[in-house]
Amino acid sequence: MQALISLRGIRKEYPTPAGRYLALDAIDLEIPAGELVALVGRSGSGKSTLLNVLGGIDRPSGGEAVVGGEALHSLSESGLSRWRGRSVGIVFQFFQLLPSLTAAENVMLPMDFAGRGSGTERRARALALLAELGIADQADKLPATLSGGQQQRVAVARALANDPPIVLADEPTGNLDSRSARDLIALLGAVVREGRTVIVATHDRAALAHASRTVSLTDGRIETARANG
Amino acid sequence: MRTASPRWLKVARDVSLHQGRTLLAVLALATGLAGAGALLDTWSLVRVATSGTYLASLPVSATLRVDRLDDAVLAEIRALPRVAAAHGRRIASALLVAETGETSALLLAPDTFDAADMARLALTAGRWPRDGEVAIEGSSLELSGASVGERIRVRSGAREASPLEVVGVAHDVSVAPGWMDHVVYGFVTAGTLERLGAGTREIQFRVRDDAPTREGVRAVAEEVRDIVEHRGGRVLAVTVPVPNQHVHAAQMDSLLMTQGAFALLALCACALLVVNLMAALLAGQSREIAVMKALGASPRQLLAMYLAFAAALGLAATTIALPLAALVARPYAALKGQMLNFPVDGFAIPAWAFGLQASAGVLVPVLATAFTVWRACRSSVAQSLRDGGAVAERLVTRRVAIPGVGRPLMLSLNNAFRRRGRLALTLATLAAGGAVFVAAHNLRASVVESVDAMFAGLRSDFLLRMAQPQPPARLEALVRAAEGIAAAEAWIGAGANAPRGGAPGENFTVLGLPVPSALMSPPIVAGRWLVPGDERVLVATRALALDDARFEPGGEVTLVLNGIEASWKVVGLIEGLGQPIAYAPREALARARGEAGATLVAAAVIPADRGHSLGTILRTRAALEAEGLRVATSALASEVRRALEDHLLLVVQFLGALGWVMLAVGAMGLASTLGLAVLERTREIGVMRAIGAPHGAIVGMLQAESLVIGLIAWAMALAASVPASVALGHAFGAVMFPIPMHLAPDLEGSLQWLGAVVFISVAACAGPSLRALRIPAARALAA
Repeated sequence: MQALISLRGIRKEYPTPAGRYLALDAIDLEIPAGELVALVGRSGSGKSTLLNVLGGIDRPSGGEAVVGGEALHSLSESGLSRWRGRSVGIVFQFFQLLPSLTAAENVMLPMDFAGRGSGTERRARALALLAELGIADQADKLPATLSGGQQQRVAVARALANDPPIVLADEPTGNLDSRSARDLIALLGAVVREGRTVIVATHDRAALAHASRTVSLTDGRIETARANG
Repeated sequence: MRTASPRWLKVARDVSLHQGRTLLAVLALATGLAGAGALLDTWSLVRVATSGTYLASLPVSATLRVDRLDDAVLAEIRALPRVAAAHGRRIASALLVAETGETSALLLAPDTFDAADMARLALTAGRWPRDGEVAIEGSSLELSGASVGERIRVRSGAREASPLEVVGVAHDVSVAPGWMDHVVYGFVTAGTLERLGAGTREIQFRVRDDAPTREGVRAVAEEVRDIVEHRGGRVLAVTVPVPNQHVHAAQMDSLLMTQGAFALLALCACALLVVNLMAALLAGQSREIAVMKALGASPRQLLAMYLAFAAALGLAATTIALPLAALVARPYAALKGQMLNFPVDGFAIPAWAFGLQASAGVLVPVLATAFTVWRACRSSVAQSLRDGGAVAERLVTRRVAIPGVGRPLMLSLNNAFRRRGRLALTLATLAAGGAVFVAAHNLRASVVESVDAMFAGLRSDFLLRMAQPQPPARLEALVRAAEGIAAAEAWIGAGANAPRGGAPGENFTVLGLPVPSALMSPPIVAGRWLVPGDERVLVATRALALDDARFEPGGEVTLVLNGIEASWKVVGLIEGLGQPIAYAPREALARARGEAGATLVAAAVIPADRGHSLGTILRTRAALEAEGLRVATSALASEVRRALEDHLLLVVQFLGALGWVMLAVGAMGLASTLGLAVLERTREIGVMRAIGAPHGAIVGMLQAESLVIGLIAWAMALAASVPASVALGHAFGAVMFPIPMHLAPDLEGSLQWLGAVVFISVAACAGPSLRALRIPAARALAA
């Protein structure tokens, strides 16, 4: 089976006032399509940095990252933007909804940037996604008026707006109560069942229980990468 | 609306979310645009009115003063292939005599009042005069104190004043406004001038060429001169003005251009404020931009969004500025029109002027913010997402420490330098305003100094112009004998011409002074002043030397005085009063022109009478007239000086006002910067409050930061005022007359600017301080 994601010798360094900080070192990783992968490790172990590299948000300092057949390290900034819009949906720990847009408008935004469909089609898809996630009645509310759980559902709907094959989620339950967290993990499981690949950086045990594969990071290196029973 | 593009919805909602700061930027931009637009509207309106009024009057190409004139000569001139029209006229200097005093007048008797082919005159009230009547030019009607149906008394030459009935009001766009030149222009018949016993004959012609050159007109004037001389006449002087240009047009253009240049500078300062606003907005949205990029927004899409925001600001500002500019421009253009003696009423501001303003209004904020927006849109997504809080706090890696300076003040100093790019923008806006403010003060000081220099050599308190030439010794004796007079000198004033290549040159005045002169000893710019033993030597004013390089020191020039030619040597150059004048030894001048009579008397009053010179003038005039010597006019040196200063300082006042506008814009920029600093340091302020910092300490910290920025801007403006003063001095010199540059900032201006900057610093800090105090410590720490 061909890997959807293939990382070879990925290294990521940051210059800091105290000197160079090595966030990722010698990362080799292959992830097949249709899996829910959990990235685990202590704070500062490199989980978020690895997600950023996978999402084309951060460029590796060395190594090769091929995701969905695209060599990310060779794409320009604009090329990366277009690729992200097409291929990746991202869910953030703090939701990161644009405060001046309603829930539906937040979901429509990636379609707008990708030039997908007409305004009416975008709204229809946004409403359908919100309905699928059980928050259709919140479509025309601003994020500030929604609960944390609702905001994260909007964020998931936004991540799915362009129907990407890969969804990346950075501590998606970190800011949710336990019930909302449980619902979100179930939601991500459903996303995987639709045939997408979901990679979650998490400390959440429930998420770990749903993961088909767990990658454990320590000090920027992969300690273990195993498929779960 | 629900299906509208969310990114453009975001742009629209960002505008309403940042109402206060957006309004500030729109107002600042509107101020700058309105200033620049008003000048553009004025300039364009004056241009339109010029071609619609002045050029439509078919202005004269050249004037030749001749000793005789008949119809045959005019017919021959009209037959010249390059001449479109030619007319004769008589012209006479006169005095308008009223109970309150005498006013200079110029009586014009054209061969026809209804000429349609050249120098068209318009009758705005009454009718054209017959013998014994006069039509007064509208711009001097008020000065004449008369109205249609009344009688005025006019004296020309030595004859008694004659009454003339005012029967009409005329408009002649070719003359400078009478109220400006203090001359009453009157149109009379040739018969009236005969009766008054005065008048010089002139031939005026207009060339066929629609866009003639001065050289081309001079060549035609030569042909005309040949005709006059061939028929036994003599050409005494030739005047060729700049073709198709009003006598004051060049001054007006230069003045508007200079003002326009500084209005553009003000617009740039306003644009910097918009950059500041955009930088603040982008700093606040760094995470939103990163999120949008993570969602697939390309840098180009983001650039379009934020530049559209800038364009929307520009559009809003333009909507305010366009009508405001037109509102200011109308009366300003009317004033300029009055100075050119033609009305701008009935003319519309051209559409291109509105189009240019609208384009500039939208493009200026877009271009000004393009780099800031581009940089923000190219920033790293990961870095922006990693930054904590709504607004990124800059990582502080180095701190300045000055021994003896307390920790809170040290913190303020370090804070001021935390965002260097923004600090630079704020400083640039504030310092640009300060530089114009100080430069305007420097220009004022330069103008006052120049006027001082002009009058430095003039030691007389008043000048009398006699109706007839008188023997100098008698004049001096009579005036010196008058009560309150300390010194008096009789001067010869003679009209002169310096022919060039066989053709008459421009006319100017030669003043003959006793050598050495006790009442005239001006500072020398080059060469030397007149000394005893000098014969045919001249000292020229700068204005004369600028017109004709032969009047530079060391030059030799042939002068025609009273029809007699003689060679003169130029030995010196003085600043003068902006008029083309040459000074010569009185006796040498008398010999050269074959006429020893003096027409001017300069007098100094005794120190005790300095404040009552007017009374001394009246007593002196009475003393002279008791001896049968009629005084034509009198002028107080102090009044001449004040009129000149007022005229010159009008330009400076405009620049001073512009400086204040720019300071206001700079204050808005500083307030915006401090507001953003509070927003960025919400967490830091929360920590300080949590560890017990009193309100005073937080306000003091912001106040000190504001003052640090203000004082740096003060120093920068003083440095920037040097090149600004040089630029202003050059521009002013080109418009008015050359002035010495004041390179060191004027002390009074610098201190006023310091006071303004301290006030601005305190005022700009008020709003942000209040906001900082209202931040609850818990919320600040959670941000």
